[in-house]
Amino acid sequence: MWQALYEEINDPNFEIICVAEDTMGEEAAGEWFDATNASYVCIVDPSHMISTLFGFINVPAAVWIDEDGRIVRHNEGTYAAKHQLEHKLAGTIKFGTDVYSNALKDWVAKGADSSFVWSPEEVRNHLKPHTEETALADPNFKMGAYFKSVGNDAKARHYFEEAQRLNPDSWNYHRQDWTYDGEVEAGKRWYKKNQDLDGKLYYDKLELPGEK
Amino acid sequence: MHVLANDSVTAISTSKSNGNELWIASDELKAATGFDLKPEGACLGELCVPIRQDADNELYESDGETGWVNATALAAKLNQPLITDTEEGVWSFGAVPSERASTLESAIAPDFEIADRGGKTIRMKDYRGKKVLLVTWASW
Repeated sequence: MWQALYEEINDPNFEIICVAEDTMGEEAAGEWFDATNASYVCIVDPSHMISTLFGFINVPAAVWIDEDGRIVRHNEGTYAAKHQLEHKLAGTIKFGTDVYSNALKDWVAKGADSSFVWSPEEVRNHLKPHTEETALADPNFKMGAYFKSVGNDAKARHYFEEAQRLNPDSWNYHRQDWTYDGEVEAGKRWYKKNQDLDGKLYYDKLELPGEK
Repeated sequence: MHVLANDSVTAISTSKSNGNELWIASDELKAATGFDLKPEGACLGELCVPIRQDADNELYESDGETGWVNATALAAKLNQPLITDTEEGVWSFGAVPSERASTLESAIAPDFEIADRGGKTIRMKDYRGKKVLLVTWASW
């Protein structure tokens, strides 16, 4: 998904690290990576370690990290640029805008002088901290993934449901669990859940100029 | 016994476990939980929890040949979330809170170590000096 942008930017001091948060690991994510023919760094992260470490709630998520290792921007629920994919149920889906990719290019070119970077305060506010309850969601989720991998579906379901209960805001847990029931069910339930949210902000706005 | 920590599942060959305590042999500790037992204590990156190893205590015991670390007590000291399935002998550790707290206070990207698809180890700190766009996604 990022290859075209990566090639366009073509800066030896800029890297893309693309992380697939897939419990089924390489098996699930592999063909997507292969289809992309990526020349940037591609990682499969079955236990969602990186999402948890960074405090991401949903996929996709994106952070900009500067040369000193500082996070200077954080967005979730966003896509880099215009994408098009063939979905088995819905046909051709086009999504994303160029606004984000232009912001990214601006940052790569200008660094700290870019108007798109955030202060540490803004970044902190954006990366919502875990409460004690939500912190327990992650080991429950990992437990569910483990039992699923050894074929113990009943225990897997129990721990996935616990993870959802402890961190209901974390769509990662909801969505990962539903995939196991089959794509059609997963799709239906995800759309219904999205509609139920009613006014609650599900995706952060990109907060870019020119964005509605 | 299986330990789930960071991004790994480790089957530990030897352990002492009584009720709610999981003791791991010191030479298996790093593979299982990421903690390295050094003379100063159990260390995860720059975080070290002091552990005396000259006498038996709440965190460490020795039977002369093998040293054992009380992984559950260690987690409790760090407020590290832990879920146990006693029936199947599986221990699932969450992230150490001080790791997350330091990201949030300083907005510095946390360090991590993970293999890329080619098997090469990728470390966040290897990218100092470069700008990085880190993105997560999923096929589901």
